Amino acid sequence: MRLPLLALAAAAVTTGEVRAQALHPAGSAALVTARVRSQRPDYQFTGSAFLGQGTLTLGRLHLSASYLQGTLNRDGGATGSTDLVEGTVLLGVRTLDWLTFEAGPHARAYTPTGSTQRWLFWELRARAATPFVGSAARGYVELWRAVAADANVPEPFDHAQGGEVGMILRLARAPLSARVGYRIDHAVLGGGTRLETVDGVVIGVGLAWR
Amino acid sequence: MTRGGRRLVWLGGLAWALGGAPRGISAQSSDSLFATGMRAYKDLEFDLAASLLRRDLAKVTVAGAPIAARAEGLVYLGAADLFRGRRDSAAAVFRRLVMLDPRYRPSQLVFPPEVTSLFDGVRLQTKTVTVEVPRDTTIVPGPGALGIRIIASSFQTVDVTLRYEDGAPFRALYAGPIGDSLNVQWDALDAAGALPPVNRVLLRVASRAPTGELAGIVQIPLDVQLLRPDTLPWPAPPTSSEYLPERAKGGPAGRALLGGVFLSGAVAALPAVVGGSDTPSGPRIAVAGTIGLAGLVGFVLHRPGRPLPANVRANQALRDAWQRRIATTTADNALRRRDVRVTLRSGAPTAIQPRGP
Repeated sequence: MRLPLLALAAAAVTTGEVRAQALHPAGSAALVTARVRSQRPDYQFTGSAFLGQGTLTLGRLHLSASYLQGTLNRDGGATGSTDLVEGTVLLGVRTLDWLTFEAGPHARAYTPTGSTQRWLFWELRARAATPFVGSAARGYVELWRAVAADANVPEPFDHAQGGEVGMILRLARAPLSARVGYRIDHAVLGGGTRLETVDGVVIGVGLAWR
Repeated sequence: MTRGGRRLVWLGGLAWALGGAPRGISAQSSDSLFATGMRAYKDLEFDLAASLLRRDLAKVTVAGAPIAARAEGLVYLGAADLFRGRRDSAAAVFRRLVMLDPRYRPSQLVFPPEVTSLFDGVRLQTKTVTVEVPRDTTIVPGPGALGIRIIASSFQTVDVTLRYEDGAPFRALYAGPIGDSLNVQWDALDAAGALPPVNRVLLRVASRAPTGELAGIVQIPLDVQLLRPDTLPWPAPPTSSEYLPERAKGGPAGRALLGGVFLSGAVAALPAVVGGSDTPSGPRIAVAGTIGLAGLVGFVLHRPGRPLPANVRANQALRDAWQRRIATTTADNALRRRDVRVTLRSGAPTAIQPRGP
């Protein structure tokens, strides 16, 4: 319940500014070399996934959505694979030129042992981004923490957090950009009896309309 | 009214008549001024006419009456003296009339040939001029800048000169004969072709008889004032704040290097921050290395002291614009310095007669 309240507060703060702004859409597509790790030896998967992201910016307010889908293969020469599907919908507000806060649901589903595990995190994210090589290269650091979660696993949810660090190269006069980064999610369940880690390298291109 | 009151009113009237008379004379026309004298002349009462006209002439001379009014009285006085048999006196009056107005000619409809022929004889013997110059004018120095018109009583030789106030020669304008009138030009320059270095000169016209003898001088003071337009100030050079740095500073290079190091470190440390310590490091290190390499490239591209051609061009354009403004101002000031004007104000003419032998 706290997340909708936060979103409403952010919307209230930026309402006056929103009226004078225009919508700026942006989109990107990336290839993610994803890995899923758990404590169980048969819970080691590696593979590639497609990540699509879109953002609508209106003044300091923005709405972003992402969708990731790929097939991961079991590590260690074992046979078998699983589909990994993830999606987020986040409402954000840019409080400073370089600092953005976002909140929203993050859903993940994959099938490591025959039964599909479905995870739903309610996340709070903070993202800092600033140019560091002229205006061409922009570095970013993003951290998030789940304030609530729902998963169909036996262990009770303890906590989950993650982050992403990378850079975006922007061409001088073109709306195109290139992105490289590293992301990781780590969930703790059952007081540490079960650890779930998903990480990967993100390489993609983006298109932004200004 | 009492007797004392009537006396006071009579004294006041007398005082008004005495005090107001000179002003009244100057305001009257020549007809009314010399009316009684002219009437006596026409009644052939020449003695009375001469007496009245002489009295009235003395009054109008003191009162500063116009030349035309005084000339009218003088011609009647000369004619009256002639018919009184006083030819020398008449000639003296006519000489005075010619000196007063060399252009004056008695009307042949009013005066008989005896009068006009005597007047012409006197005029031919009297060498004098009148000089016409603008009362107040502004001229541009150069040929024909100021026109001076000289009107002669009769054929003579004149020397037209400009002189300093102490009488020293300033500029000779004309020396030679004059018939009826003559136009003399002054270019508002001195004898060396320079602008007048003084604020006052004297325009002197010396009349000479055919024998070379000085017959008279007419002199008019001319106040000279040079008007020089103000020159424009030099355009201020661009201030240092207007120039862009032509060499790269260390800020962007340091930012690229430190940013690359920080981001690379953040990539390497991210699993530890979020608690996932068992992740393989290969892909992560590849990303960290890529970002670090980008920072290094950024450092090289933005290295301190690197020439900034765009800023160099912008600064050169700024300097060129300033130089163009200086050139424009220089040319404008040169035009302004050449655009000198001279204001002349002429004073009242004075006539100087040589002493007789």
